[in-house]
Amino acid sequence: MTEPRQHALPDGLPTLRIRDLSIEFQRRRGAPLRMVDRVSIDIWPGEIVGVIGESGSGKTLTSLATLQMLPNRAAIAEGTIHLDDIPLQDRSERDMRALRGDRIALIPQDAMQSLNPTMRIGRQVGEPLELHSGLSSQRARQTVRKLLEAVHIREPEKRVQEYPHQFSGGMQQRAMIAMGLALNPQLLIADEPTTALDVTVQAQVLKLLREIRDDKGASIMFITHDLGIVAELCDWVYVMRNGQIVENGPTRRLFMAPQADYTRMLLDATLSIHTKPGVAQ
Amino acid sequence: MNLTLRDFDWHRWRLVILGGAIIGTILICAIFAPWIAPYSPYDLDVMTMLQSPSGEHLLGTDELGRDLLSRTIFAARISMQVAFIAAGVGLIFGTLIGVAAGYFGGLVDLVLMRFMELLFSFPAILLAVVLMASLGTSILNAMIAIGIVFIPGFSRLARAATEVVLREQYVESARAIGMSHRRIVFVEILPNILAPLLVEAAVAFSYAILLESALSFLGLGAQPPEPSWGNMLNTGRGFMTQAPWLSIVPGAAIFLSVLGFNLIGDGLRDVLDPHMKE
Amino acid sequence: MGRLIATRLAAFILTLFAASVVLFMTISVLPGSAAKSALGMEATPQAIARFEAQRGLDRPLVVQYGGWLTKTLSGDFGTSFQNSVPVGPELLKRIPVTLELATLAFLIANLVAVPLGILAAARHTKRSDKATTFVATVFGAVPNFWLATLLIMVFSLHLRWLPPGGFTPFSQDPIQNLKQMIMPALSLGLVSSALLIRIMRASMIEVLSSDYIRTAHAKGATETIVIRRHALRNSLIPYMNVAAVEFGFLFGSAVVIEDIFRLPGVGSLVLVGIINRDFPVLLASALTITVFVLVVNLIVDLGVGLLDPRRIKGSRA
Repeated sequence: MTEPRQHALPDGLPTLRIRDLSIEFQRRRGAPLRMVDRVSIDIWPGEIVGVIGESGSGKTLTSLATLQMLPNRAAIAEGTIHLDDIPLQDRSERDMRALRGDRIALIPQDAMQSLNPTMRIGRQVGEPLELHSGLSSQRARQTVRKLLEAVHIREPEKRVQEYPHQFSGGMQQRAMIAMGLALNPQLLIADEPTTALDVTVQAQVLKLLREIRDDKGASIMFITHDLGIVAELCDWVYVMRNGQIVENGPTRRLFMAPQADYTRMLLDATLSIHTKPGVAQ
Repeated sequence: MNLTLRDFDWHRWRLVILGGAIIGTILICAIFAPWIAPYSPYDLDVMTMLQSPSGEHLLGTDELGRDLLSRTIFAARISMQVAFIAAGVGLIFGTLIGVAAGYFGGLVDLVLMRFMELLFSFPAILLAVVLMASLGTSILNAMIAIGIVFIPGFSRLARAATEVVLREQYVESARAIGMSHRRIVFVEILPNILAPLLVEAAVAFSYAILLESALSFLGLGAQPPEPSWGNMLNTGRGFMTQAPWLSIVPGAAIFLSVLGFNLIGDGLRDVLDPHMKE
Repeated sequence: MGRLIATRLAAFILTLFAASVVLFMTISVLPGSAAKSALGMEATPQAIARFEAQRGLDRPLVVQYGGWLTKTLSGDFGTSFQNSVPVGPELLKRIPVTLELATLAFLIANLVAVPLGILAAARHTKRSDKATTFVATVFGAVPNFWLATLLIMVFSLHLRWLPPGGFTPFSQDPIQNLKQMIMPALSLGLVSSALLIRIMRASMIEVLSSDYIRTAHAKGATETIVIRRHALRNSLIPYMNVAAVEFGFLFGSAVVIEDIFRLPGVGSLVLVGIINRDFPVLLASALTITVFVLVVNLIVDLGVGLLDPRRIKGSRA
């Protein structure tokens, strides 16, 4: 358990403030299992924050808690989550629905699986517009085409009518990003969006995310297990292990002078594979 | 380590246990019929015909004065016999064909499975009825006909399961050290395809009972005076106003047997299938 | 898409041929001389021989099949052994009856199963789901001919609301027709629906646990929209495949149900053929039912192809 970060930014609220969040999983028999333990994360406007950890570290659960989309048997045991000044942890389902896709958007892990195979891409990408702005899919088409352009999908007029299986892996991921961007959310939660992609495609997606932050000022929570990406993309990093935050800090400082043993271990394991000089900033 | 009764995962096996209880009861009736039934199923007594349930005849009597309860109990024999043998025929031949197709592949596979698919495209009752027409009406032929109806289903399952097993390494190694085809099949393949076959067998039992009673109902199965739930239901049709119990009881017996086997099948599927339940 | 239709059609025709061979061979082995059945038990051996020679029953089976095939393809379905009446017209009269029965039964089955299955899946692990599954399991074990008998006892004999049997064409008297068809259709449909509820439920549960459903929720969609817009189409695809098989089963069960309700359909014709050892009648009616089943499978197969864009469109750009 570490201190929540101290920040030297001007006053104002962080886009996302998670304080002492704990998530428990109800087992059929026995005591509930604590999957996330007193986690605190701050994400300020326009920041790209990396949440790094191995599988099972609780990073995905934390992100799902933010959307109040935890799986059936999991629940928030304690702690608070705020989007600006809006508390999320006890928010009604109805009110959460208003926020999802509109102010907080999810870019999930496996784009192929996360797209409806029997629905045209255009309709899916434009669905947030339908749901929140009441636009019919016809009228949303203009905006959808622009969204596809924004994520560098060529021939958007043609692509809009196609189905997910007709897209390549990289295009699918970018379509998911377009979907997330539809209503200019304050916070984008990207859960390992590049894991299944080739390195070149990965680079394109990362560049795209950076553009989004630069052009629209959105904050991004970037969840990954890949230190290399974090080094390249993120401003601030949280390291998670077994449901706890082990360390956090500006990317550069974390990489140069890690304080926790676990962080050091991760770095050692990675640096022997990647030989990436230079770190983001 | 001493396992007590409490350690047994009752919850997980609940459907199998429930179904097993029902079928167990019916099996006991079938096996011990002569001792359990209060009367002989053939004892006519025209004086007591079409009596409603009473102290003397717990379920009433039929149109020839025979005790309905006794006939129902004895009819269980036929249903159970047909069910087991028909399912057995289907299981054995179906597995043989399916494993052969999966194991040898190529032309053997193509020819066998195409034929199986063809048989499969006939509705079961139609196939059973046509086979019975060809073989002649008798209980034995009913067993064969219904067994034949089951063969395609089992063969498909056995073939699919064989394919899965064949991809595993140990078959490769077995062949590499020179194991004969027959040994490979019996020692390596069969034990591993047992699980899905068992589930299918339970389903087959229940379906066999349904088919047998349908055939008897149509007059193509057990012939009077042999009691079969199906033909009892058929005769009952003529006395629906005077003696409704003649139509209710045999049907209820069929219903319970089918339910029992269905529960076992469902239960086995839940237990044996490594399915995530959330 | 055109390619899909062509291949499926070719497979259909091939299967039909093969099925006719199987049926022909099986039925030709009909024991109990057809001749005796037609001419009576006291028929002389010479009369029997003449009977058989007239109908080519003494020729090798393959030749017989060839003869039968040629005649059938030109529209001649043979003549009944029993009364020398041509089979074709009788068959034609009966086809609409069986079609009406099977279609009504199938309609009932789906109208019950789809909504209930969806509801149960949406309330998965809650009490209403468990109750629905329980009822479906129990109902699925009911023999449809028993249900038919019970329905007759209650609605015909006791309440006298509905006729216990018989058939009036819809064009002649729609109300009477429906009154006569409702119980047969219910006996078949309700039992079928029990199985189909569980299939729909399972399919929907599977779909609802997919990632793209999570995506829909993450966009702020309500439960209703998720089910209606995203889950429904995807869960109907596997459902329809099973429903097609069930439809086939319905045609088979029609043999029994038509007998109970004295409906003059193709199913009861099969029985007539068997009882009278009437080879042409049996063959023609059994084959007709098989044709129905194969056609239904073909239609559903193509229908699924329409629902599932992965089948029609090509793959990746």
